[in-house]
Amino acid sequence: MLRAALPILLLFALWEAAVVGLAIDPFYLPSIRVVAAAMQAQSGFYLDAYLVTLAEAALGFAMGGLVGVASALLFTRLPMVKDMVLPIFIVSQTVPVIAFGAIVVLWFGNTLMAKAAIAFYLTFFPVTINTLAGIAAVDARQVALLRSFGAGQGAVMRKLLLPAALPRIFTALRLSASLALAGAIVGEWFGATRGVGAMLLAAMFNEQIVSLWASILVAAAVGGTLFAAVALAERAMVFWREEL
Amino acid sequence: MTATKLSISGVGKNFGAVRALDRVDLDIAPGEFVTLIGPSGCGKSTLFNMLAGLLEPDAGGTILLDGKPGKLLGRTAFMPQRDLLLPWRNVLDNALLPCEIEGLPRAETRARAEKMAVDFGLRGFEKHFPQQLSGGMRQRVALMRTFMFERDLMLLDEPFGALDALTRSMMQRWLLDIWARYRRTIIFITHDIDEAIFLADRVVVMSARPGRIKLDRRIELPRPRDAHLLTAPEFTAIKRELLDAVEEESLKSFSA
Repeated sequence: MLRAALPILLLFALWEAAVVGLAIDPFYLPSIRVVAAAMQAQSGFYLDAYLVTLAEAALGFAMGGLVGVASALLFTRLPMVKDMVLPIFIVSQTVPVIAFGAIVVLWFGNTLMAKAAIAFYLTFFPVTINTLAGIAAVDARQVALLRSFGAGQGAVMRKLLLPAALPRIFTALRLSASLALAGAIVGEWFGATRGVGAMLLAAMFNEQIVSLWASILVAAAVGGTLFAAVALAERAMVFWREEL
Repeated sequence: MTATKLSISGVGKNFGAVRALDRVDLDIAPGEFVTLIGPSGCGKSTLFNMLAGLLEPDAGGTILLDGKPGKLLGRTAFMPQRDLLLPWRNVLDNALLPCEIEGLPRAETRARAEKMAVDFGLRGFEKHFPQQLSGGMRQRVALMRTFMFERDLMLLDEPFGALDALTRSMMQRWLLDIWARYRRTIIFITHDIDEAIFLADRVVVMSARPGRIKLDRRIELPRPRDAHLLTAPEFTAIKRELLDAVEEESLKSFSA
């Protein structure tokens, strides 16, 4: 906890020192103390934004992780499905998420699900690809050994392929954590009234610079929360590190 | 009980245009310890993969286990060259892997594994993970895993190949001890002639590719065997005879 907090405190100190020392115009960079005071004055408002965006990003992230891993397992089991569906996955990723935003809001309305859907869209693909790579990297002799014990495809999957792919799955999840946040914020830009993205837009249009920086800090807090959750899960599940 | 545990006749294997294994005929009695030696690429591992049921022999060849034909997958206990331990499982869970796959009752097999760990010198290390163990210990875990998969016929593919000389000779004596206690039939691949003679009831020498059986030598040395045997004149005589056969084949595979 302390190890994570220290660099952040250092960054804040540098920020403050720069603002004071270089006499930076608050329009470009307001003092961290002013930003903190503003956040404290409206703590309920900022906490609400934090929770709303965290819920959107976390839901999309969870769906993306699950669908990513599940589709990679399905592709491994049924290579024919992979040949048919993976190209569609790839093409889907070439369409910028912004282009989908309006459609998603049209489909889901201005709901939690709409933002989660966009977060999901950004997260599932890296997870699929990394899970596939992790499975492909498993030693064929290892598979042969399990088969010699009479293991069928299901047992090979459960006892070998999936656990062996975990380090790569977590690499993808760490990447996806920040993507999910970006997805949730973009989702909020299509007419949401709550959340970090909505706050950012409002602050930008009204030139409320302090509020803009406060929103950025809240966004960082959401991203940090997601990242920390992934790191904790990784430490518990991949205590053995990549060795195969 | 049948007189032969394993009967291999006319077994060959082509990989595309390459003839990896020519007609191999071999009968092995129950409880016998047979070592298989031959130059690299002579098809020893191909033969093992067929005995483990991972590979089908070409048409015309038959493999009978306990006098019966049929699928071999899951009927022999196969131990590959590398220990292939799973890093996310501790020692005991690695050894229990084949039992889990078989779906045997957990409590019962766990108790059996805990008892067996003592014989395998793994007592006190049951909860350790493979990356915390030495090479010799990892190999013992892999061997224990093979023993936990209770099949009468065990196929060991150069299990001690990666170990240093001292650890290796200790492991050889220890394996003989274990074998005497558990009475399984063992086929053991090695590149080391000393090891082949020291362990075996029979040493089978394979020819250079395409692999064939060149020499089948019974080893009548008394058991239990200890390290002094390696310098005994009767040992050296057998070694000379086998060396000649192996060298001849190595040269052939070298010039080919």
